[in-house]
Amino acid sequence: MTLADAPLAPPVPPTPAEDGARLGFRLTLPAQVLVLFIAVFPLLMQLYISLTDWSPLAGVAWPRAWEFWNGFANYSDLAQDGRLWAALGRTALVMAVCVPVEFLLGLSLAMLFVDEFPGKRVAYSILIMPMMVVPAVAGYMFFMLFQSGGPVNGLLGTLLGRDIAVAWLSDPTLALVAVMIADIWQWTPLMFLILLAGLVGVPQDQMRAATLLGASAWQRFRTIALPRMKTIMIIALAIRVIENFKIFDTLYIMTGGGPGVATETISVYIYEVTTQDLIWGYVAAIALAILVILSVAAVWAMKRMGRAAA
Amino acid sequence: MTRSPIFETFRYAAILIALAITLVPILWMASMAFKPIPEWQATGQNLTWIPKDPTLDNFRFIFGESSSNLIVALDRTAVQPIVASLLASVLGTLIAMTAGTAAAYGLSRYGSGQNLPLALLQLRLFPPMAVMIPVMIMWAFLGFMDTWWGLALIYGIVTLPFAFWLMKTFFDDMPREIEEAAMVEGCSRWRVFTRITLPMMRAPLASAALFVFILNWSDYLIALLLTTREWVTIPVYMASLSSSMTGQLYGAKAALGLIAAVPPVILGILIQRHLVRGLTFGALKQ
Repeated sequence: MTLADAPLAPPVPPTPAEDGARLGFRLTLPAQVLVLFIAVFPLLMQLYISLTDWSPLAGVAWPRAWEFWNGFANYSDLAQDGRLWAALGRTALVMAVCVPVEFLLGLSLAMLFVDEFPGKRVAYSILIMPMMVVPAVAGYMFFMLFQSGGPVNGLLGTLLGRDIAVAWLSDPTLALVAVMIADIWQWTPLMFLILLAGLVGVPQDQMRAATLLGASAWQRFRTIALPRMKTIMIIALAIRVIENFKIFDTLYIMTGGGPGVATETISVYIYEVTTQDLIWGYVAAIALAILVILSVAAVWAMKRMGRAAA
Repeated sequence: MTRSPIFETFRYAAILIALAITLVPILWMASMAFKPIPEWQATGQNLTWIPKDPTLDNFRFIFGESSSNLIVALDRTAVQPIVASLLASVLGTLIAMTAGTAAAYGLSRYGSGQNLPLALLQLRLFPPMAVMIPVMIMWAFLGFMDTWWGLALIYGIVTLPFAFWLMKTFFDDMPREIEEAAMVEGCSRWRVFTRITLPMMRAPLASAALFVFILNWSDYLIALLLTTREWVTIPVYMASLSSSMTGQLYGAKAALGLIAAVPPVILGILIQRHLVRGLTFGALKQ
C-alpha cells in the first residue's frame, strides 16, 4: 500500500490480508516519515540554495534566498576551485593507501585466527577494541602519540639509540602519514572481524582434504577459500571505502586539516567552508555535486557487483 | 590440524606484535590520565610510560575541583557534556530502534515499505557533511540548535539504517510458526507483535540497541555543527580543554577520553557475537 491509496481503504470489515497490509503500512510509517524528513525536503532546500549566493549572514532567511539568485554560477565555480580538487585528491590518496593496507593486515590476522589456540578469545577481544574507541578520542590519542616529545619518537629513539624529535603533525607529508596510521590502527580490526567471519565459514574438511592431496597453503587459499570469500571481501572493502571517504573525526582532531591544507580531506574542506567562510550557497553546490557523484558511483558499483556475483 | 612448531611460533609472534600495536595507544592515554602535570610533557629520556607519581587530579579537575597544581580554572565542568552525550545517545537510540524495529517487522512479515532497504542504504552511504547545511537551517528553524533533543533526533535518523537492517535480519531468521499459531488462536496481529514477537526478540533487540548506542556515542561531527555551548557532547567539549596560557591540558583530556572510551569498548565486547551482522547490514552472520 502506498501513501496515495491509503484513504481509499474500503469501509467494509477488512479481510485478513488487508488487515496485515494495513498493520504493515502503519509499522513502516515512522521510518518513512523520518526518511522523507531527512532526504526529500533537505535536498530540495539544498538545490534551491545552491542556485543562489545566500549566506546565513545575508540578513534574510533562506526562503528569500532568490534575492541572491546567481543561476549555475556556483556549479561552474566548482571546476575552478583548486582547493576542492586538491581535497578530493587527498581523500582519494588516503583511501588508496588505507583501505588496501587495512584489508591485507586484516586478512593476514584473520588467517592466524581460523583454528583454535590457547588465548584465542582474549586476543580476539583485544584486537577488535580499536574500532569501538570513539573516533574523536582515537584522534586525541594519536595527537598525543605523535607529539615531537611523544612516545612514537621515544620508541624510535630507543630503537635507533639516539634522540628523535620529528615534528610529525607539523610536517605536511608526515602529518598525512600520521593520519593514515591512525585510520589503519582504528579500522584494521573491522576488516579482521568481517574477513574472519568469512574464513570461518570455509569448510574445513575440504581444506584438510586438499592438504592431504598435497596442496600448498597458497593453493588451498586460492582455490577453496577465495571463491567463497569473494562476496564477503567485496562487502568489507565497500564498507571501508564508503566510511573512509567520509574521514573527519580522527583527522580533524589530530591536524585540523593542517599544517596549511596538507591533510584537508573533502569533509574537512566542506566543514571549513561551512563554518569559516559561511558561503552556504556554494557549500550547498559542493554537497549536491558530491551526492550526485556518489550516487552514480554507487549504482555503477552495484551493477558491477551484480554482474560479478552472477 | 597439526601445525609445525615454526608456524606456531610465527603465529604467536605475529599476534603478540598486533596486540602490542593495538594496546599501546590506549594504554598511553590511560597512563596519561593518571599523570601529574610535570609528567605530561616529559620528553626524550624522561618519557614516562607508567606514571611515576600517579594521581587522580586530572579526574578531579574535569569535574570541577580546582586543584592547586593546575594553573587554569575551568569555566565549565565535564558533567554537563557527559549528560548531554548520554541523553542524546539514549534518546537517539530509542528513536532509531522504535522506527527501525517497527519498519523491519512491517517489511519482514507484511511486505510493506519495499523502498526502505535501498533508501536506508543510501542514507548510510552519504557523508553527513553533505546534508548538514539544510539540517542546520531546519534545526535553527525548529529551535533545535544546541539542544540534546535536537541532537537525539538527528542521531536517531542517522542510525536508523543500522537499527532497521539489524532487526530485519533478526525477524527474517525468526520462525513464524509461533506467531501463526497465536493468530489462529484469535490473537490480533498487533497483539502478536507486541505480546509475542517482541518479548521473544528481547536478546536481539538488546544487542541491536547497544550497537546503535555505540554509534551514537561515537559521533563528533554532527555535535560539532549542531551544538555550540549549552549541550556540547564529550568530544566537542574535550577539544575545548586547552588554554592559551598553558596549551593542551594533556592529562585532563586523557582523563575525559578514558571516560568516553570505556563504555563503548565494554558494550562492544559484550555484543561481539553480533558485531559482524551489524557492521555488514546483516549481509553476514557470525
